[in-house]
Amino acid sequence: MKKSIILFVLTILLTGCSDKELKVPLEDIGMVSTLSFDYIDEEMMKLTVAIPQFSPEAKENTQLFSVTTDMISKGIVEIEMQSDKKIVLNQLRVVLFNEEFAKHGRMRKLIRHLYRDSSVGNKVLIAIVKENGEEVLKADYPDKPNVNLYINDLLQPSINTAFNPNTNIHDFIYTQTSTVHDSIVPIVDKKNGIIKIEEVAVFKGKEMIESIPHDEALIIQALQGRKNLAPLALDLGDGEEDKLVLDLISNKVKMKSNKNMEAPKLSITLKMEGTLVDYVGYRGGELESLEKITKLEEDIDKHTSKQVEEFLDKLKELEVDPIGLAEEFRKHYHGKWDKEKTNDIISKLQVDVKVETSIISTGNLK
Amino acid sequence: MSPKNLKVLGVYHVIFLVQNTMVGTGLLSAPQRLSVLGYSQVLMPIYFGIIATITLWPMVWICSQYKGDNLFRINELLLGKWMGKGINVLIVLHFTLLIAAIISNYMNLIQSTALPEQTTTVTILLVLLLLTYIVNGGIKTIARFCTLAFCLAIPMVYFLRWGIEKGDLSHIFPLFNFTSQEFFKAMQQGYLSILGYELIMFYFPYIIDQKKAFKHAMIGIWITISLVFITTVVSVMYYSEWQLEHVEFSVLHLFKAGEFSFVERIDIMGITFWVSLILTTAAAYLWSARKGLDSIRSKKNKYHVYFITAAIFGVIMLPVNREFQQKLFDASIYIEYIVILWPIFLCLIHLVRKKQVKSK
Amino acid sequence: MKIGRLVRATLSGTSQKKTTKIEHEEPTNELKDQVTERLENIRKQTSEIDDIMFKKIATDEGVVTVIYSNSLVEKMTIQTMVFIPLTNYIHQIHQVSDSIEDTDIQEITKKVITGQTILFFHKTFQLLSIDTYSAPTRSITNTEVESTVIGPQDAFTESLETNISLVKRRIKSPMLKNETFTIGTETDTKISVVYMDGIVNKDNLEVLKERIEKLDHPAYTDVTILKQLIEDNPLSPFPQYYLTVRPDTVSGYLHDGRIVVFMENSSAVMICPVTFLEMFMSVEDYYNRWTTASLLRMLRFFGFFLTITITPLYVSALTFHPEILPYELLLNLQESRAKVPFPPLFEVLFIELIIEVLREAGSRMPAKVGQTIGIVGGIVIGTAAVEAGLISNILVVLVATSALLSFLPPIFLVSNTSRFVRYIFIISAGLFGLFGQMIAFTWLMVHLLRIDSLGKPYMSPVIPRKATDLLNGIIRFPTKYLTKKSGISKSPKK
Repeated sequence: MKKSIILFVLTILLTGCSDKELKVPLEDIGMVSTLSFDYIDEEMMKLTVAIPQFSPEAKENTQLFSVTTDMISKGIVEIEMQSDKKIVLNQLRVVLFNEEFAKHGRMRKLIRHLYRDSSVGNKVLIAIVKENGEEVLKADYPDKPNVNLYINDLLQPSINTAFNPNTNIHDFIYTQTSTVHDSIVPIVDKKNGIIKIEEVAVFKGKEMIESIPHDEALIIQALQGRKNLAPLALDLGDGEEDKLVLDLISNKVKMKSNKNMEAPKLSITLKMEGTLVDYVGYRGGELESLEKITKLEEDIDKHTSKQVEEFLDKLKELEVDPIGLAEEFRKHYHGKWDKEKTNDIISKLQVDVKVETSIISTGNLK
Repeated sequence: MSPKNLKVLGVYHVIFLVQNTMVGTGLLSAPQRLSVLGYSQVLMPIYFGIIATITLWPMVWICSQYKGDNLFRINELLLGKWMGKGINVLIVLHFTLLIAAIISNYMNLIQSTALPEQTTTVTILLVLLLLTYIVNGGIKTIARFCTLAFCLAIPMVYFLRWGIEKGDLSHIFPLFNFTSQEFFKAMQQGYLSILGYELIMFYFPYIIDQKKAFKHAMIGIWITISLVFITTVVSVMYYSEWQLEHVEFSVLHLFKAGEFSFVERIDIMGITFWVSLILTTAAAYLWSARKGLDSIRSKKNKYHVYFITAAIFGVIMLPVNREFQQKLFDASIYIEYIVILWPIFLCLIHLVRKKQVKSK
Repeated sequence: MKIGRLVRATLSGTSQKKTTKIEHEEPTNELKDQVTERLENIRKQTSEIDDIMFKKIATDEGVVTVIYSNSLVEKMTIQTMVFIPLTNYIHQIHQVSDSIEDTDIQEITKKVITGQTILFFHKTFQLLSIDTYSAPTRSITNTEVESTVIGPQDAFTESLETNISLVKRRIKSPMLKNETFTIGTETDTKISVVYMDGIVNKDNLEVLKERIEKLDHPAYTDVTILKQLIEDNPLSPFPQYYLTVRPDTVSGYLHDGRIVVFMENSSAVMICPVTFLEMFMSVEDYYNRWTTASLLRMLRFFGFFLTITITPLYVSALTFHPEILPYELLLNLQESRAKVPFPPLFEVLFIELIIEVLREAGSRMPAKVGQTIGIVGGIVIGTAAVEAGLISNILVVLVATSALLSFLPPIFLVSNTSRFVRYIFIISAGLFGLFGQMIAFTWLMVHLLRIDSLGKPYMSPVIPRKATDLLNGIIRFPTKYLTKKSGISKSPKK
């Protein structure tokens, strides 16, 4: 007892003597919040880092550094030469890539590097920038306090941008390496002093091949079983005015495959429950009776299932599977499953979509 | 020590001593070690549990034939003095290596996650000091520490929540999607994550209720098995097969998935807290090794524990390349498989030499 | 008062008269020499102890020398118990006093200095002693160190008899035993070991008595000294016996089979064995409703762990793991740390030391000055240090919280311990961040597990010895379930 206490104290004292690297205190660390990669050529890229500036005396609230490099860590070292602070990635929140970069299939390598780095969290969000990542960061947003917080908050999950897949590092690596998934990443675009998420990029393997609009992206989320979907705006009318907004309360997906690899067939049942919040159209004013509502429900079912089918056809053409439909076949298949099998399934897939909408209330007025 | 004082381990002590010595870095990397099977690894822990229960039986049986003696003594009784001592020396050496492997593995993990800018020499020294402090308290302190560590660590299961939310349960199907070759490979690589229960052969004389020891040890084993099972299930749900194979400490990344509003990164909390689980395992092994040294030199000496600790420190700090060291550590783990099967051999000898030994 | 003085005046008058009378009487010379010799011997023994009085009084049985200590025996007592009966009804004296067979001078002196009055009959050569110990005592007052809102307010005083009477009032049972020992080779301090026979664990009692008998410390001024000497692990920072000044706490523990040690001239008493968890229990918990009591207990218990982790966490988060902090908080921290010249470790040590200084200064100062110190320390130093950029403002909040938390345990010794342990944590956090902190935490756990209290494990209810212990652990169950004695005081089955 006595001895171990003495030894303990001695060790503590000896550590004081040991010649270790002096710890950099917090205020001398530049914590990168946003990284952006822009494509230059096959080898090189432009790395931009944004570091929030905490000092109230500084005029700009964000420090920005750009270098041209071929590796992340090399770039960080170069940036450190320009900066007065030690650059660390511990508080990294968002990584931006420009579209060209994604199309050349170089995202996977970089993200894998970040995934390996233990100081980087797994919840770093990924987004693709239409034009140029550096410009997005360098631009002036007069009504926003800080570009880092702005982009981070924008990409966070929110009910009204439910189509946003909120891809983070783990998700990206997961979908990249999964044998049944293809990655999807939100696309942001800077327009007139604001940043906007509008589309979603679909990857095939390493490369981005297509960008799909947000209402189609919402179908991906719905079929993946996401519970909180955005208010659904539908235009049922063919010629006649018939528009409505449904506030979805719950969403359930059921998939059933025929387990046949040669002639794959999948029946999808989508059950939605929601409140009718807004309606403009010829049915107006008569929606109080239950029959009318049932009719409306049927129309919505028809319309939505058609939409879903069309979208799935599009995926079939592209031979990509961002939803993970092939999982329904994989889980019944004995033996090794690989990406080719997924592609094979998707290209042959017959889908039978059934949508069951139920409007549980139309508001308080009778 | 009088025979009355010798028996100190109650029911809970046995359960948690068995349970906690099994949990170490092995649990953190279990899904990776089983990754040969891909998604079908889910049921592996259950098989491990069954094997552990089967191998536990001869251990308890041979010990209950010699109620007051631990394995070192039984070796000497059954194999003759010199042969037994020879085996005991090997066991002590092997335990020294094994503790070195456990601590070195964990310290590498700490070095890469929590203390990336420091060398580990001083921290290893600190951990070893703490280890001797625990071991000096005797087997009862170790057992009580195991109980406490279990109670404090079990809330960490909650941290798997985010993994479950994000994961996809359908990954576990089809259940038996592997060849027998893959199965044996996974067995060989993965079984070490549940090693530690064999130490019951060394503290068996200290158990109060020896008749029910088998039952209690089994409860301990199955608590651990269920923990390993939960981790593999959640890992399978959360990861792709590629990730399972390449993410070394999958539990760490599972912790990374979560967040509280006041703490952003739970993984660092979890991984640093893991030190108490490492210490329970290492302490039990060190205690057994000390008993071994006592029995080899046929006398009790309190410096034995410091001697072994110094040896462990020496092995960890060995100025050889990491590859050789890693091979050494791997070898020590595979030797542990022999230790698990050893009591079966002893049982056979016991049956043959029963009369001879009894008459002594 | 007035009457007392009057009586005293008249009485002293009489005694003076009697002493003058003695001169007229003529005892035999031989006897007279012997008497003077003895008296001289006693005088020699007690020379330079000026408060020992020798008074010769003529009685019906000849001259009697009365020897007593002026400071231990009140005037009133000596008059009513000795002088008046001696001069008026001397046969009573023989009934109430003990005769001393042993004529050892040392013994006689000892009796005198412990407050007894010695009567020396010149004629018969007889020695009598009467217990007249009546040193002035403090009256029973409210407790200031362990005050509660609900419940009895009386507290122990420095008198052993009063203290035992306070407990015996509460437990009127013949099973309540108090065994007296005298310890201290120089102070001859009386201690009393109190327990409930039939409930107490005999093994515990044996261990305690054995330890008391082995003591050879010369002087005891308070029970805390005894406590440190007979604790199981004297090197540990944790107190292993409970210390209280409340008679209701004591009687509660007596009912549970614990042993209580009283010491004369000590207002606190020591209760053993106890567990770590009981250090966070106040007797008020049993007076409050169980819901409130449980909440308060949890607050105290987790408060202890918070107070030793908050500031170390600040150190390790800022030096090693900035990633664990939420983003907005981190920016604030960076901003407030920007002007601070020290590394976080020294920043924390600096402000913690200031807090210690404040506390120590506050407790040593007279009460009125103490308030000013509070204002100066709290507001001036706190705000000014932040303004001056010596410490960050978030740290001030953390340090203040942890200082307040450290005062939560009902026993002051535990709050001292928490401060000491906190420094260990701060330093290990400064060296190895969260990992160092966890190492320190593991050390703390193992240390607590290794401590015994009177041979019983200190961490007992955390790892329960009996299932019913859990009913009165961190959560206090409703009173009707708290009927079982705790496992720590249970006698082992034989």
